[in-house]
Amino acid sequence: MFFRMIRGAFLLQKKKMLMIALTIALGASLATAMLNVMMDVGDKVNQELKTYGANITVVPKSASVINNLYEMEGGGSGEGSYLLEEELGKIKTIFWAFNIVDFAPFIDTEVTLPDGSAATMVGTWFNHHMDLPTGETLDTGIQNLRTWWDIRAGAWLDEQNAAQGADACMVGEVLAGREGLSAGDRLKVSTRFGTRELTVVGVFDAGGDEDEQIFAPMEVVQSLSNLDGYLTSIEVSALTTPDNDLAKKAAKQGPQSLSISDYETWYCTAYVSSICFQIQEVITDSVASPVRQVADSEGAIMEKTELLMELITILSLIGSALGITNLVTASVMERSAEIGLMKAVGATNGRISALVLTEVLITGIIGTAIGYLAGFGFAQIIGHTVFASSIEMKPMVIPIVVVLVVAVTLAGSIPAIRMLLRLRPAEVLHGR
Amino acid sequence: MTKRRFFFRMITSSLVRRRSRMLVALLAIAVGATILSGLVTIYYDVPRQMGAQFRNYGANMIFLASGNDARFDMDTVNEALSYIDGGELVGVAPYRYETVLIHEQPIVAAGTDFSGARTTSPYWYIDGQWPERSGEMLLGKEEAEFLGLGLGDSFTVIWSTEEDAADETGVTEQRTLDMTVTGILETGGSEEAYVYMSLEDLEALSGGSGRLDVVELSVSASREELDRFAGLIGTAVPDIAPRLVKRVTESESTVLSKLRSLVFLVTAVVLILTMICVATTMTAVVTERRREIGLRKALGASDGGIIREFMGEGLLLGFVGGLAGAGLGFAFAQYVSINVFSSSISFQGWLLPVTVAASVLVTGLACLLPVRSATEIDPALVLKGE
Repeated sequence: MFFRMIRGAFLLQKKKMLMIALTIALGASLATAMLNVMMDVGDKVNQELKTYGANITVVPKSASVINNLYEMEGGGSGEGSYLLEEELGKIKTIFWAFNIVDFAPFIDTEVTLPDGSAATMVGTWFNHHMDLPTGETLDTGIQNLRTWWDIRAGAWLDEQNAAQGADACMVGEVLAGREGLSAGDRLKVSTRFGTRELTVVGVFDAGGDEDEQIFAPMEVVQSLSNLDGYLTSIEVSALTTPDNDLAKKAAKQGPQSLSISDYETWYCTAYVSSICFQIQEVITDSVASPVRQVADSEGAIMEKTELLMELITILSLIGSALGITNLVTASVMERSAEIGLMKAVGATNGRISALVLTEVLITGIIGTAIGYLAGFGFAQIIGHTVFASSIEMKPMVIPIVVVLVVAVTLAGSIPAIRMLLRLRPAEVLHGR
Repeated sequence: MTKRRFFFRMITSSLVRRRSRMLVALLAIAVGATILSGLVTIYYDVPRQMGAQFRNYGANMIFLASGNDARFDMDTVNEALSYIDGGELVGVAPYRYETVLIHEQPIVAAGTDFSGARTTSPYWYIDGQWPERSGEMLLGKEEAEFLGLGLGDSFTVIWSTEEDAADETGVTEQRTLDMTVTGILETGGSEEAYVYMSLEDLEALSGGSGRLDVVELSVSASREELDRFAGLIGTAVPDIAPRLVKRVTESESTVLSKLRSLVFLVTAVVLILTMICVATTMTAVVTERRREIGLRKALGASDGGIIREFMGEGLLLGFVGGLAGAGLGFAFAQYVSINVFSSSISFQGWLLPVTVAASVLVTGLACLLPVRSATEIDPALVLKGE
């Protein structure tokens, strides 16, 4: 009988039930969309902030001292004053390897231009292709780390393009203006170790010191400075978690000062300090330090964005909860005549409540299922429009939405049912 | 009793008699209006507030001397600053660089205004304290390691005229100053290779010409506005060449536009869903009154009259709900702003009428459809409950 009545309710009051299901679906989709976006927004914003360039620099342990003491002008290979090129791949093998988005090695030397003036020449990776020890491949270099460069003439140097060969370079705008260089020109540079003639493939505007420099592939500068296989610095762009007290303590007093469990937490969280520490572990004689300008600002902006999204999510959760409660209350209350009739023919309060609640909950479950799918769609629309990538589906959202919907449907229907049960059937049936 | 008075009585008594149901409707409308006004206020204020957060990245504009002969001092800078609208200027820090000798080593010393440097470089991490008095200085981490100096160490800083710049007499002038390290500067960047002292101390050492090499500015403005300021200053103050720090300005406009469109889309999705939610609730509230509509029709009320009456009721609800929601929404936006950005939000005056109008419109539409479908049916059928 119970099931027959429920089936009857759905078949006969199709329109009404559809309405409730629709509202619940709307509320559930809103909750799903907002929760999914909120949980993923940190990662997405973090990715966007990568346009500010590297947040970690790696330099040899004794670089500054030796350079300052001997005022070296490129040349000589004192142990410990350079990083080893062969170790670069190891950066992608650290615990947080997955969080390393891009990195590029640098080596610089003074070169003499044909007119006798001196310029700084930087050897680096532009879009270097790498086969990692783990079997993965990676394309990385300054094309990703200098997104703010404005290419004024020509194009980015393409390392993977065999036609360009290794004899290509890019020149900063200021230097190009002074030397009268433009894309396609040949430029002869010399050091005391040799001379190379390079093709200028691009002129860039970096808005800084780099505008007076020449950028060429690693190998060119290494051979010009007689430093094959050596580097002077590495820039690393990593996705990090904003610092908390633990990270600050580790950064200030060194990881040794942490207790074993704190150390593990710290090591296994993507704090900028723990990533630096792990890079130092794999690169011999290196010091990795956070670029505070980037690392600190990233933390602040991510924190604010996450908090903002959390509050908007809470508002929309409250909104959808009230929306659902409202409609459920309204639709239960309008059934006063039906409930009065049931009471008049002898139904107990318990049975009536069970009947109405089951009906509402079944509608709720159907609505939630539809709403979840729709909400996930909304989240994807937001993800693709704003960040051009899909929003990750967080399984945690499902129980939250289900609990929310069940709770608000019950909260919406129980007071209404109790109110109706208090009425006297005769009065209700009379329509008073 | 005039027709109009009767109309109002019908509406008000229906609102009062069916209190609980009207409360439900009113609540739904108010929630919708709260979300509308709250989110739109946030949407309008977020770029400004987020822009302020982005100033953590430090200076986005620098002043340089426009040529080799050009010189500028603080007065020139102040003249240039007058072209930047006051509220948008977050910080200004003048810098002057000189080579000095510390422990017989040549070191680049930067003279600056520390209170200005704190605003333009909020990411500087100082181990120790910012210098407050004359004779105190900051030591870059790299230099501190190189010189083997630490917090609290005192030493003599020597400055002498460069040999080739010495006057005809061939005498090199030399000045000294005793200084104490109050803090070690860590930035992870090139700043670590300098020492920092106050502009006054550096001038006392190297001669008080008042000359500046670089001025860093942190301006809270969009890319286009920055370009405009730079153009204005470049033409109005010939000694200064304003340059934008591309790395900061480019990246800021990319990220900020993403954040803005995120908040926009989120606002749009939430608003659409909420408005539909309000509409379905209103529809449900009106639909349950089909019997009443049938009865009135049977008593001889015209379709137009019934629709007018129901709409009147709905619009009144929409108005009251919208008004309440606009207030609540602003309170919410204010709460968010204070919690997230710790600054208060700017009130968008035009949002009040818009919120009220939107909630009246949504409620009106939501009522109109079920009322019309109810009036179209034969009253007898409605009354029989079929």
